[in-house]
Amino acid sequence: MAVEAQEANFFTTKLDFIVNWGRKNSLWPFPYGTACCAIEFMSTETSPYDLSRIGSEYVRFTPRQSDVLAVQGTITYKQAPILKRIYEQLAEPKWVIAMGACATSGGVYDCYCTVPGIDNIIPVDVYIGGCPSRPEAFFDAMFEIQKKVSDESYMAQRKERLKEQWELLQAKTAQAKQELSEYSRAKAQELKEKAECLKNTAIRKAEFWKENP
Amino acid sequence: MATSGDNVKEPIVATPEAAKAFEEAALKALEKFGAVRSEKNPWGLTVVVDRCNLHATVLAMRDELGLDMLMDIVGIDYLGFKDYVGPRFAVEYVFKSVYEPAKRMMVKVLVEEADLKVPTISDLYGIANWQEREVYDQYGVIFEGHPDLRRILNHVEFVGHPLRKDYPAHRRQWLSTNDYLYPALEKRLESKGYRILERPEEINPSEEEYLQGSIKK
Repeated sequence: MAVEAQEANFFTTKLDFIVNWGRKNSLWPFPYGTACCAIEFMSTETSPYDLSRIGSEYVRFTPRQSDVLAVQGTITYKQAPILKRIYEQLAEPKWVIAMGACATSGGVYDCYCTVPGIDNIIPVDVYIGGCPSRPEAFFDAMFEIQKKVSDESYMAQRKERLKEQWELLQAKTAQAKQELSEYSRAKAQELKEKAECLKNTAIRKAEFWKENP
Repeated sequence: MATSGDNVKEPIVATPEAAKAFEEAALKALEKFGAVRSEKNPWGLTVVVDRCNLHATVLAMRDELGLDMLMDIVGIDYLGFKDYVGPRFAVEYVFKSVYEPAKRMMVKVLVEEADLKVPTISDLYGIANWQEREVYDQYGVIFEGHPDLRRILNHVEFVGHPLRKDYPAHRRQWLSTNDYLYPALEKRLESKGYRILERPEEINPSEEEYLQGSIKK
């Protein structure tokens, strides 16, 4: 993987293809079910609809093992920090589906307690309408995410990520250098003052003993 | 196969006669507490009592009248109510009997906004604990003597009481962090005989943070 991807060549395009093929056929959903859309998601998993046809049969109930956060249902203000935390715990790469009217826009709950759409909290890739959404709509969203995945470039992402990390590292190094120079300057000043003070004391002592032998 | 007719009980039905008899008996039994029948409820029995007699009234209803189930506690805000004269707030208690369907009634307490306090009945009915917390959360009615009066539905950083008529229905309030439940959990475990041996470093219980939004001091 130590290849610098300056421009697309045979190796990088084939690697992108393989990585994307692997990713898009094993999208493991994390169901954040708070309302009736979660029931529709359950029927999406059963054999009449069979989500495992596109490789998503593993529903992981921990954010650390899943790729797709499927938010199914109403999100209240009391729950918003929890959803945000779970999104932050998802490992990269991650995608988000807002399923149903409530997750998309708050739905009929236009009041003091409901978040008007989860895109106030976290970025969303695909929105599905419906109250609740049909299992076919969930399939459609998964196909959209598959399309999105197959357009991505692993090498380009890696390049961006490395660039980001390099910039961060540079910024941190510069900051550390700055701090060090400030600290050393302050220390030098302090030492200089101390030396001056000692010198003055010595001179005063010498004068004293000269006057009072 | 023969079934013995002795074990089959007649279904108990709430007949109008039984309901009327119960209403008369209830009004007679609660007369000494100053309970007055409310004419605003034509479908059932609602009595209005003064709040200083509430606890004794509910105790008599539970023990003498056999109303052993508290179904709901409801807060009412009469602000802007058409042709209404009287105190702004009311708290209404809905009771029924589990085994005798004819026995059901409601008790209403009227409270002024300036002195929004009602005695608790959570020592008589266990369910009243959470229902009174809900009424406190949504209307700001303070239940005197409640063991743990804090918000139950809204989050701890919520300001105001959303079901009051003067609360703007669309005023949304963000919560900065999720509820901090470790102190309550540890207290509960300790009350069951467990002992906290060690806790993770990031957990540093602060009673002030946890009780923000609560009136418990």
